[in-house]
Amino acid sequence: MAKRSVWSDNRFWQRSAAWVTGFAAVLLIWLTFDTSAQISMGTDADLKNGVTKRVPGPTVINYKITYEMDTKRGHEIPVIGEKELFFGRDDYSEEEAGALLHLGKLGSQVKNCMDCHTLLGNGAYYAPDLTKAWLDPAWGPEGSLQAMTGKETKEEAMAEFLQHPSQYPTHERMMPNLGITAEEAKGLVSFLKHMSSIDTNGFPRNFGKIQGAVHGK
Amino acid sequence: MLDPSLIRPEIALDDFLPIFVSSALAMVFGGFYVGIYTAVKVEMLKRWAMPFAYLFWMLTSYCLYIMGSLMHVGEFTAKALIVAMIGYLLLPHAVYYMQHQVHEENED
Amino acid sequence: MASKLNESQQLATWYFTFAAILFGAQLLFGLVAAIQYVMPGFLFEIIDFSIARIIHINALVVWMVFAMFGSVYWLLPDETGIETVGIKLGKLLYWVFVAAIVVVVLVYLLVQVGPADETTIWFITEGREYIEAPRWADIGIVVVALGFVANLFLTGIKGNRSGIVTVLMADMIAFAGLYLAGMFFTDNISVDQYWWWWVIHLWVEATWEVFVGAIAAYGLIKMVGAHRQVVEMWLWIEVAMLFGSGILGMGHHYFWIGTPEYWWEIGALFSALEPLPLVAMFVHVLYDWGKTQGGQDAKGESVSVINNKPAFTWFVFNAFGNFLGAGVWGFFHTLPQVNLYTHGTQFTSAHGHLAFFGAYATILIGMMYIAVQGKNGIKVMKNTTSSILAVSLIVGGVVGMTVALTIAGYVQVLVSRAQMGATWAGYFDGQAGMWFAQGMDWRLIMGVVTFIGFLFLAKDLLSIGKAAHHER
Repeated sequence: MAKRSVWSDNRFWQRSAAWVTGFAAVLLIWLTFDTSAQISMGTDADLKNGVTKRVPGPTVINYKITYEMDTKRGHEIPVIGEKELFFGRDDYSEEEAGALLHLGKLGSQVKNCMDCHTLLGNGAYYAPDLTKAWLDPAWGPEGSLQAMTGKETKEEAMAEFLQHPSQYPTHERMMPNLGITAEEAKGLVSFLKHMSSIDTNGFPRNFGKIQGAVHGK
Repeated sequence: MLDPSLIRPEIALDDFLPIFVSSALAMVFGGFYVGIYTAVKVEMLKRWAMPFAYLFWMLTSYCLYIMGSLMHVGEFTAKALIVAMIGYLLLPHAVYYMQHQVHEENED
Repeated sequence: MASKLNESQQLATWYFTFAAILFGAQLLFGLVAAIQYVMPGFLFEIIDFSIARIIHINALVVWMVFAMFGSVYWLLPDETGIETVGIKLGKLLYWVFVAAIVVVVLVYLLVQVGPADETTIWFITEGREYIEAPRWADIGIVVVALGFVANLFLTGIKGNRSGIVTVLMADMIAFAGLYLAGMFFTDNISVDQYWWWWVIHLWVEATWEVFVGAIAAYGLIKMVGAHRQVVEMWLWIEVAMLFGSGILGMGHHYFWIGTPEYWWEIGALFSALEPLPLVAMFVHVLYDWGKTQGGQDAKGESVSVINNKPAFTWFVFNAFGNFLGAGVWGFFHTLPQVNLYTHGTQFTSAHGHLAFFGAYATILIGMMYIAVQGKNGIKVMKNTTSSILAVSLIVGGVVGMTVALTIAGYVQVLVSRAQMGATWAGYFDGQAGMWFAQGMDWRLIMGVVTFIGFLFLAKDLLSIGKAAHHER
């Protein structure tokens, strides 16, 4: 048999494969530690002290959220502003807000939201993206969706729609009735409001550029 | 509308189609490159086909260049794309060399 | 022809059979969802789009897992030279797995949703795309997967551990272990998505691709008599390339879910590398086929070296489809600059259809044909009219759907994303576009074509073994 070169030696390639895989995996794990720290949820104290977190704490529902261009980063970021009433209150404690968010996140899973909508751009493409749904001008004071439900505020309009979606046919493609209760609807709306405050590196780009949601309601 | 939001170069509306077409073609031409190269080497095609393989590699690079510039990729991505193209040029040579050698060693 | 299958290969045929049934279910519910895009009132509040889609994508994942388990049970005795260790346990776990899947699907269909509490997560749906299966089923799947991995390991250790078996051992334990990352609940959607991708991405862009590499290696040795030394060396190179680019290629899913900006660079770099192993796999098939055929021709015999025509056809489509679906369709929307506009549009859907089909469905169907050949003791298996119709209609149908979805996605990018900025109104303006609507019509038509192709495939798999024109 001819002399074996290292390049045609299976053991060499087997070891290379193991090393490459191991190296990539270690790098991924290391990055995971860094990212996990950066995307852990903030606290009420962070919000009060104006500490910016990529994922703010659940009490962010006590504040007004806008989506504004950050000239340094070159894309829009959520900006947490002054206090704002949410279902008539702006003093949800960390426990209360946390419970609402918990209910809402659970609600988003048990109703299979992601199998029609996209959340953070992931999911199905049969219905609008919900990442910044809270900031959507259609739900704002001038918006057609708020007017349709006859409610005074954005959050009440959204909650009303979620409970009786087929009563408000917004499009030929309708949302089905999923048996969402009033409490669950409240949780879901706070989940949506919280999601709109997550720093998604400018996704979706130019959200509401034409209808003017970028600078808040 | 003069939008202050146009800080980061935005992809122009008319550029989306060329971007998608050029990136798809980059891959397709790349496939032709390695396909023709290998087919010539294993004698499924005649030797005169070889220059066409390199022609396809050049087309691939050109398509990636178009794609990169229309997309306004940053410096880092541009470098990554160049490295990928050089790697791509060498890849089938290396692969063929190694496979051939193993074959020779085992046929003896 | 009496079958002389050993027990492991017999179990493999059970796995393939159930996989084929689920494949049919996947296509059927895909058709329901496709009809709903065209006629939104279809089955409204009976089988809503969400339910049809859950079954469509879950059946997809599960039939592939079944066919993958089947493929391993098929090749194990061939590779190791011994009967699979713990085959009795394997057979028992098969029935546990089938029963669990049937219950999960019935609950999806009949119960559909539940109240917002933990009982729904445990017993009805977890509501996380692709891995909606409720938690009791998650635990069941882990138990079944561990049993399968144990059988593979014990057999590999006891018998002749070839390179292919070694790769499969390492790959399958990662495959089973990764599922654990998708089993917990968190209120933080960014954290949720971060780990969800560990399951989805590290399955389909890493461990499953390596699995395909191993199966392709086995198929080339089996069908064209490729040289084992060459094939196995090549397999190790593929493992290095696939894991080297695929593991950190994860970055392209972390652009917009709340994770830091450094993932843009990581995602862009490794995404640019990800097509390379796919090209390499394509070259590999061409090379081995050309070499062995060339050797044959040199002896002055112009007979084909391929001993299983239908299976080899599917393997070739795999090499090609993997490159086209995962490579081309993946690459053109993977860089962050353009992904900002394409993320979450029908582009993703087009890529998903062609990539899952090209990279996985094709080769697994090929394995089914190899099993039919083995079961019927056929020396050289030739195509029947149904084999040719099946492959043409299915490939044509899936490519047609992909093109239609790509056009629809293009409209969505221009209207809903670049111009309107992804609001509710922007979304529906995009959906109302004429090209979008026609794209959806064509997707449905091509879906029907695919389904007809499936019917021919099912017929062929059941009857080709009895055809008289094979060499036995």
